[in-house]
Amino acid sequence: MVADSRDARALRTAGRLNEPRPARVESNFDGTPWQVNHQPVAVLREEWRVLDRWWTEAPVVRRYFEVVLETGENTVVFHDGGGGGWFTQRGA
Amino acid sequence: MIACLSIPGFELKAALRKQPSLSLRPAALAPEAGGEALIGPVTAAAEAVGVVPRMRLGEALATCPQLVLVDPDPAAAEQAWEEIVRSLEDAGFAVESAALGIAYFETRGVERLYGGLEPALQRALTAVGQQWDARLGAAGRRFAALAAASVAKPGQLLVVRDEEVGQFLAPLPLTLLPLERQRYDELESLGVRRLGQLAGLPGGAVAERLGTDGRRAWGLARGGASGRVRGRRPPSELVESLEFPEAIGNELTLRRALGALVETALSRPERRDRFVRKVALSARLVGGGSWRRSLTLREPSAEADRIRIALAPRLAELPAPVLELRIELVELTNPAGRQLELLAAGAEDRSRLSEGLRQVRASTGSGSVCTVVEVAPWSRIPETRALFVPRDD
Repeated sequence: MVADSRDARALRTAGRLNEPRPARVESNFDGTPWQVNHQPVAVLREEWRVLDRWWTEAPVVRRYFEVVLETGENTVVFHDGGGGGWFTQRGA
Repeated sequence: MIACLSIPGFELKAALRKQPSLSLRPAALAPEAGGEALIGPVTAAAEAVGVVPRMRLGEALATCPQLVLVDPDPAAAEQAWEEIVRSLEDAGFAVESAALGIAYFETRGVERLYGGLEPALQRALTAVGQQWDARLGAAGRRFAALAAASVAKPGQLLVVRDEEVGQFLAPLPLTLLPLERQRYDELESLGVRRLGQLAGLPGGAVAERLGTDGRRAWGLARGGASGRVRGRRPPSELVESLEFPEAIGNELTLRRALGALVETALSRPERRDRFVRKVALSARLVGGGSWRRSLTLREPSAEADRIRIALAPRLAELPAPVLELRIELVELTNPAGRQLELLAAGAEDRSRLSEGLRQVRASTGSGSVCTVVEVAPWSRIPETRALFVPRDD
């Protein structure tokens, strides 16, 4: 018998890869980050916007930044334009 | 040279040993209890009237109303296969058993013993015996050997030299490749029906269109990797069985019988100082069928209680009352240590990897081993591109 994909256990056990994680970000007046998780930003490498699912009740409005921190770490953060708040994310 | 022994429809042939008259009539292996209603291997008489393996049961019976369904007998099949592998080992071959009815072995070590490649292969066929209609293929690479065994006639051996591999594989059908049904359909819709046509395509384009499975199939169509054959470790022969005076369906009684069997098997002098890593529980069922489950323990153990607790839940899966219960200590560790081996040299060895994953799963619980499944790789939202899904297979 083929398992029902809507089975509650299946929904509970499958997880999303690269889920956003809340981050502590301090930003400049123009919205660009200058500090991520208490680490100063050394270089702002790239910036892009994602506008998606605008046809649903939960549209995705994000402003992404790829930054290099002073520790040498390369990281991607975004500001959620819908719910507010900053997040880091892998695989962006 | 790598040789591949192939016995198509092995489970059916093993089940038909008790009723050989059926092998001349349209017959098929019945679906397993609780599984999908797809028939297993079929006899030549059934194939002649249009019944094919993995057909839906209803469709098979509609195609051939006289079709006889043979109950699967996994314990008999395992036992028969073990006999075949041991006969090959007795003849000097280090055998790697890939599945029931398919085994690989290297011929290099025994060629001088038998006076050349073909006499050695002939010896292997003799060791297997004529009643199984075994076929033997030999080539420099594993997949080419499997392909040669698949096209050989019963009792025939087919040797493919390295310089002939491309020419030999080119006209063979794609069904020899381990691909999902929809992939075959996709390739057929593109006009690719033969291994040679697939091998002629650029590898990058195949990977882009069909993903990693497609890329692997493309590699196989070009002859495959020259992986080594690893002879198996000889299994232990610690078996204890208990025959009941009448069929038992009561789980409590079966649990008690299991407890007694575990104690008896562990107290055998051959087991002394060694720990049990893998154990199998099998049963002869009322009505003629059989049932078998094997289990890799979280960590090797010689405690009767732990083994009993690990095996007891399997008794609930018994599909019918039991006439005989049997326990096999399939794999024992060396007395020196209990260190488990996850991967041997050569990470491509999938069977060892899956065995390792089974052990990880056994030690950390269900849901701890996951696979990444791409669901929307095109999505602009990173977290919606892929899921990780627990694997309990």
